[in-house]
Amino acid sequence: MLPLKIAARFLRTSPVQSGLIIAGIAVGIAVQVFVGSLITSLQASLIERTIGSSPHVSLRALKDGDPVTFSSAVARVVRGDSRVTAVVPERDISALFSKGTDKVPLSITGGDLADLNTIYRLRQRTVEGEPSLRPGEIMVGVDFARKYGVKRGDPANLVLGGNDVRTLTVSGIFDLGSAAANERTAFTGPELPRQALGYRPDQYSLVAVQVADPFTSTAVATAWRARLSGIKVTDWQVDNKDLLAALNSQSASSYMIQVFVLVAVALGIASTLAISAVQKTRQIGILKALGMADGSTAAIFLWQASILGVAGTALGVGLGLALIAGFTFGTASSPSAFPIVAQPVFVGISAAVGMLVALLSSIIPTRKTARLDPIEVIQNG
Amino acid sequence: MADALVLAEGLTKVYGTLEQTRALDDVSFEIGRGEIAAVIGRSGSGKSTLLNLLGLLDTATEGRLVLDGRATDGASSRDRASLRNELLGFVFQFHHLLPEFTVWENLLMPTAIAGKTVDAALRELAEETMVVLGLEGLGGKNANDLSGGQKQRVAIGRALMNRPPLVLADEPTGNLDTENTDAVYRLFRRINADWGTTFLIVTHDQEIASMTDRILEIRDGKLVADVRNPVGAPSVAAVAAGLTTSRSSSAARS
Repeated sequence: MLPLKIAARFLRTSPVQSGLIIAGIAVGIAVQVFVGSLITSLQASLIERTIGSSPHVSLRALKDGDPVTFSSAVARVVRGDSRVTAVVPERDISALFSKGTDKVPLSITGGDLADLNTIYRLRQRTVEGEPSLRPGEIMVGVDFARKYGVKRGDPANLVLGGNDVRTLTVSGIFDLGSAAANERTAFTGPELPRQALGYRPDQYSLVAVQVADPFTSTAVATAWRARLSGIKVTDWQVDNKDLLAALNSQSASSYMIQVFVLVAVALGIASTLAISAVQKTRQIGILKALGMADGSTAAIFLWQASILGVAGTALGVGLGLALIAGFTFGTASSPSAFPIVAQPVFVGISAAVGMLVALLSSIIPTRKTARLDPIEVIQNG
Repeated sequence: MADALVLAEGLTKVYGTLEQTRALDDVSFEIGRGEIAAVIGRSGSGKSTLLNLLGLLDTATEGRLVLDGRATDGASSRDRASLRNELLGFVFQFHHLLPEFTVWENLLMPTAIAGKTVDAALRELAEETMVVLGLEGLGGKNANDLSGGQKQRVAIGRALMNRPPLVLADEPTGNLDTENTDAVYRLFRRINADWGTTFLIVTHDQEIASMTDRILEIRDGKLVADVRNPVGAPSVAAVAAGLTTSRSSSAARS
């Protein structure tokens, strides 16, 4: 443990230099933790906003407009997949909302409230009235309600296909977080659309499915296609290529930033340790003359790097988490803000990378030390 | 010599490949246990090269070196480091103390390198060394806070902490005034008398060399003289008297 003791003493007797290098590592790791968590959370937020309330995998009939039969065999395949988190058989119809002279097109999704809630989270998103889809009830979006003066309990006259006019009662008003969706979408129970479409009880417009990790949707869809003949299985990634490209570009730029930060940190540590090795040449030569083996003198710089790495990384992780907390606190009141969640895996990787960089940075001084000839030091005073 | 501590046979050191310089040329001698010998010669004569070879800091191009009965030729860098730590103590012209450490820590550095733990026996040994060197009360001080003479005495103490059979001293008083120079040589004598330590002192100062038991002269890389010094060894009483003076003066300084 003598090399460790000497390393610690060398660092302690140069407090400014040691402090600066620890601060350098800490800032680098803090940026890693913060930027990594920021980008990951931003992507999670974007994905949630974009597809959080949409099906990740959809089951439809092969021919557009035909119903898909959600038989017990199909249900077994879908509900039996451990990756699946929500299964919503839906019946979608188009209708015209009629009020006075206004005739407004509405896209109505019919289904059981319990099922619809798993994807559309209508219970949490109801801003007025009750989340209820009993027969004869309809829920409309907040922008639609505002634009056409619709309130809870109001009658809603709907013209379905073939001039079938129905009057439903507005049970609740929801906010899906998108003005477009709030203005055009409505929800009702399963029976009205079934009658309007003339479907059997096991026939639906589509079966909407969500999976735990949206990015596994392609694998899930591919697996199901092999087992579900006569059904068209699509996944969100096929329909959202532009979004995926944007997310990938964002990831790539984030990785680039992180790589450059790491390189800057590595160069900082390496140069400081190299300077330290030069400054301590005399001491290393003396220790060698006194009988310390080359490996042990090299270990001094390895220990120095380890101490600096551990201290800098610990401080950096703390600083990074503090930045995340500060950012979340500072933007809490903004409606467009998203929460940054510290990613434990990412924090772990950043800490490991910080240590690795510190250790790699000690290569130059350790090699320099191993080559040092004590005679040079002794004779030159 | 049956019980030679140092046995050098045909030691030769050649520097360079295209243009070769023979810094040391076929030097052979033996040093017995308990001797105090001086190696003299002008600058560039090869005496430092000889000291580097004897100190296992460098390897000979040709020849054989046996230290304390152990052949050193072909030893790895690690083995030579280990032998240096075990068999040799160094005293340099410059004290070469570690400024980051206290006097006590500097003193114990060779034992720490040897992997020894500071137990009661080692503590007693270190304290005895401090007393012999007149460094009582200075253990907690930083090495940088001492006077030149004190630093050199700490360096001598450090060289002795592993109780090596051989101490190699390279111009050990080159940076000291007359008073401290005398004190250092009295110290060498005292340690030699008390612990039987062998000293090999490289110097260009004839007066200092005359205080040793034996003088080896190096000229142009060759050993040109090896003479016993009839006036070198003072009596034990004289050593003791000198040491008392030295310790009193150092105590007064500190």
